[in-house]
Amino acid sequence: MKTRSLRPLYLLRQITRFSVLICCYLSLCFSAITLADSDKKNDHTEQERHAEKSHSGSYEAPLPVQLTTDPDLCAYVPCHDIFPYADRFSPRKGRPAYVEAYHEEHGQQKLLGYAFLSTDIVDIPAYSGKPVVTLIGMDVTGKIIGVKVLRHSEPILLVGIPEIALTKFIKQFVGKNAWDKLEIGKARAEGGYIGIDAISGATVTVISANQVVMRSAYEIAKQVGIIKAVPRPQASFSNITEEQSWDTLLSEGSIQHLTVSPSQVGLDNTGQPYIDLYFGYLNAPTIGRSILGERNYEGLMAELKPNEHAIFIVANGSASFKGSGFVRGGIYDRVQVSQDMDSFTFRDTDYRNLYGIRATGAPEFNESAIFIIRSTSFSAAYPWSLVFLGNKVNKQTGARTFANFDREFWLDAKYLQGGRPIVVKADPTWLKIWKSRIWEITAFIVILLFTAVVYANRDWLVRRSSRKDKRWVSAPKYAIWLVSIGFIGFGLMAQPSITQVLTWFHSLLFHWKWELFLSDPFIFIFWLFIIITVFIWGRGLFCGWMCPFGSLSEIIYKIAGKVGLKRFQFKPSMALHNRLKWIKYGIFWVLLAVSFFSMGLAEKLAEVEPFKTTFLVGLFNRSWPYTLFTASLLGLSLFTERPFCKYLCPLGAALAMPTTFRWFGLKRKQECTTCSACAAGCGSQAIDSLGVIDHRECMLCLDCMILYYDDHACPPLSKERKLREKSGLPLTRINAEGYYIPIHPVPMKGAEE
Amino acid sequence: MKPNAENRLPSYAETKGVKWLLYELFDHLWPWSKQGWLQHKAIQTAGLAFAVAVTVAWALAANGRLGADALIGWWLGWSIYEIIIRMQCKPYIKDGPWWGHRYRPAGRMDMICYVLFKNLLIGALLFITLRNLGLLQMVS
Repeated sequence: MKTRSLRPLYLLRQITRFSVLICCYLSLCFSAITLADSDKKNDHTEQERHAEKSHSGSYEAPLPVQLTTDPDLCAYVPCHDIFPYADRFSPRKGRPAYVEAYHEEHGQQKLLGYAFLSTDIVDIPAYSGKPVVTLIGMDVTGKIIGVKVLRHSEPILLVGIPEIALTKFIKQFVGKNAWDKLEIGKARAEGGYIGIDAISGATVTVISANQVVMRSAYEIAKQVGIIKAVPRPQASFSNITEEQSWDTLLSEGSIQHLTVSPSQVGLDNTGQPYIDLYFGYLNAPTIGRSILGERNYEGLMAELKPNEHAIFIVANGSASFKGSGFVRGGIYDRVQVSQDMDSFTFRDTDYRNLYGIRATGAPEFNESAIFIIRSTSFSAAYPWSLVFLGNKVNKQTGARTFANFDREFWLDAKYLQGGRPIVVKADPTWLKIWKSRIWEITAFIVILLFTAVVYANRDWLVRRSSRKDKRWVSAPKYAIWLVSIGFIGFGLMAQPSITQVLTWFHSLLFHWKWELFLSDPFIFIFWLFIIITVFIWGRGLFCGWMCPFGSLSEIIYKIAGKVGLKRFQFKPSMALHNRLKWIKYGIFWVLLAVSFFSMGLAEKLAEVEPFKTTFLVGLFNRSWPYTLFTASLLGLSLFTERPFCKYLCPLGAALAMPTTFRWFGLKRKQECTTCSACAAGCGSQAIDSLGVIDHRECMLCLDCMILYYDDHACPPLSKERKLREKSGLPLTRINAEGYYIPIHPVPMKGAEE
Repeated sequence: MKPNAENRLPSYAETKGVKWLLYELFDHLWPWSKQGWLQHKAIQTAGLAFAVAVTVAWALAANGRLGADALIGWWLGWSIYEIIIRMQCKPYIKDGPWWGHRYRPAGRMDMICYVLFKNLLIGALLFITLRNLGLLQMVS
C-alpha cells in the first residue's frame, strides 16, 4: 500500500478524484444558496405565496432614514396593508408615537384604528442583537388586526428556516387583544395565558417578536384610552425626617445615577458623557427635604394633589434630558418613568423649575428639573425606572434607531411604613427559557459529564480492550454517538456551528451581550464543554465523540462496513490527505474574513456546514440543492471515514487551532518513530510517518491507545512478550510507558552469606 | 532561513518559579532572538519598523475610532510577520499543560496556530480593556 501510494499516477488519480468531489460539493453548496429561494416558492399555497412575497427580503431590508423621524409614518411603511379601507392616515402623534387610520363614511371621518411602528415604542433586541422592526395595526377596541415585519436581522431566518415560518408565526397575533397574555408554546393553566406556536429552532426570535408586538400594542392601547389605568396601592412614608447629605442619599440608593456614553448612541467619544444623570423621588420627606430644603419641599407638597408624585432630575453631559420636544408639542420626549408595564410621560404642565440642590456635597449640574407624575397607576412603594430615550445613529447610513437607557429606583425600606412590599419580578427572557427546559438541560449536562468522565478514564478502558475486542471503548462511545445524534442533534437541535464562532468574534469586537449567548441554553452549555475540553484534551473529544453530525457520519461508515460495503471503503493516501486537510482551514479563514464585511454573506457561505439541513430544518424540508449536498456528504461517508470532518468542516478547523495547546495528548513510545502499526489503523490519518500524532486532526478514537497496551498487537510490546515467554520470565503489568514493568533480579539472602 | 539547532528549544526550559514565568511572558510578547537578529538583520529591521507601525495603529485605536477592517488588517499583518520571524528565532512551542516545562520544535502549522491564537487573546484583552476605559469605539 505504501509503495502504491507513492506512485505518481496513483497520486494524480487520487488528487483528481478528490478535487472533483470537493469542487462538486462546494459548487453545489453555493448554487444551493441561489437556487433555494426560487425553489422554496413552489411549495406554498397562493395565500402563503402572497404572504411570503410581502415578507420576502425583510432580512436586513433597507429602511428609509426618515422612517424614525418623519411625522408622516405611512409615507414610508405600508399602512394600507394593515388598513386596506383607510382613506387617510394622521401624522405621528402621542408619546410613544402612533398614527390614526380614517375612513370617510357619509362625509364623516370614521376612526378605524391605530398603526404603529414597534421601534417607536420598545427597544427589544432579537437573537441577532438587533430589533425585529414591525408595523402593527390595532382597531378601536384594542384588537390587533395586522402585523407586518419590515426588517429583521435574524440569520436563522436567512438560511436555516424559511421566512414563511416567520409570516405564519406573526399571523397568530391577528385577532388577539392588546391586553392578552401570550406565551410561546403550550400556555400555562393558571394566569389566563394564551399559547401560540413557536418556530422550531428560532426560540429567541419568537420570544422577542412576542414581546415586541404585545408590549407595543399594550402601550398604544393604554395611551389612547382602550386600556384603563389600574391603580396601585400607594406608599405610606415613615416618620424619618432627618436631612441627609448627597453622598448618603446616593449610597443608600435614594438618588440613582444613569450614564450614557457617546458610543452607546453611535457618536464619537468626546471625553465627556453623552448624559450623566441623577434622579430621585421627592415625596419621601427625608429625600424631598434633603434635596429641596424644608420650605421648598413643603411648598411642592402643598401643590401636589393626592396620587401625584414629584421626581427630580439633574444632569451634566453633552446632551439635554429636556430636549426640545416640549417647545413644539409640549411633551418632554427624552425622559419618561416606567413601572412594570405602565409608562408615564411628562408634558410642559408637569414641569417645575429646580433652582438648586440643598443637600450638602451635591456637585454642580448643567440641567435640573422637577417632574410631576399624575396617575393612580404609579406608586412609590414599588420599583420604578427612569428611562432616558435616545436615538442611536448608524454612522454609515445616518439612520436613527430608538434606544432607551434606564435605571431602577426603589425607595429604601426605612422610608416606607412596613418596609418594601414583596415584588415578584419577571424573569429575563433567557432565564425563562432555562427554567422551561430545566429537565432537558439537566439531561444534557449529565451526558456531557458522562462523556468527560468516560474519556478521563480512557487509560482504564484501553487497558481492558485489545485490538480484537474493543468493547470497553466502543460500547460507551457508540452509546454517546447515538445519544448525540438522537437527543442532542434531532431532539435539542444543539449542533454547534461555525456561525456561532463568527458571532463570538463580532460580539467580542462590537458589543458583548451575555443574554444573547444565554438565550440558547444547550448551545451555551455545549460551548462551555467544548472550550474546556479542547484545552484539556483537544478537539477530538467533541469532534470524535460528541458532534451530532460527526457521529452520524461515522456511524454510517461503521454500519456500511458491517453490511458488506467494506470492500468498497477506502482511505485516501497520506500524501493526498495531507493536502486536502488544509481545505477546512481555508474555509474557516474565508468565512471569518467575509463575516467582517458582511455577516449575512458569511451566514450564507456557512451553508458549507450541512448541520442546519440535517438537524435543524430536516433533510426533506429544504430545497433540493441543500438536500443533495447533505445527502452527498452522508453518502460519501458510506465509503470513507468522516470526509466532511477531515476536509471541509470550518468548525473543526476553528477548534483544531487551539488544540495545538491541549494539555494532555495521547501516549507514544520510543519505537513509534519506526513502527507504523498505529498509523496503518488510524481512521483519522492523524499519525505521520515518524509516528507523531497530529492532535489537530486526531478524533481521539483511542485505537492507537488500545494498541499501546496490547501485548499481542503492539510490535515492540509483542516482541518483549515473546522474549519473556521464551525465557520463562513472568509477564508483569504494563506500565504507563507501555512496557512490561522491568524485572530486576535480587540476589538471594542465603547466597550472599 | 532554517533555524540553528541551538535555537530549537528555549534556553530557559529548565528554569523554575517566577523567573521561568517571566521568561515565558517575555517569550510570548517578544518574537525576536539575539541569534535571529545577528543572522537576519534586514528582516529584523523591517520587522521593527513594522512593529512601530502596529504600535501607531494601536495608538490611533486608543485615541478614538478605528474601523474594524483596518484593525483586523493590522492584526493579521502583524501575525503573519510574527509567524515568519518566530520560525527563525524561536521555532518551538509548549507541549502539554501551560504550567509544564516541556517544549517541542514547532512545525509551520504549530506556529500558525500558536501565533494566531496568542494574538487573538492579546487582541481581545486589549479590546476589552480599551473599550471599558472608553478609549476605543468600534463601529459595527
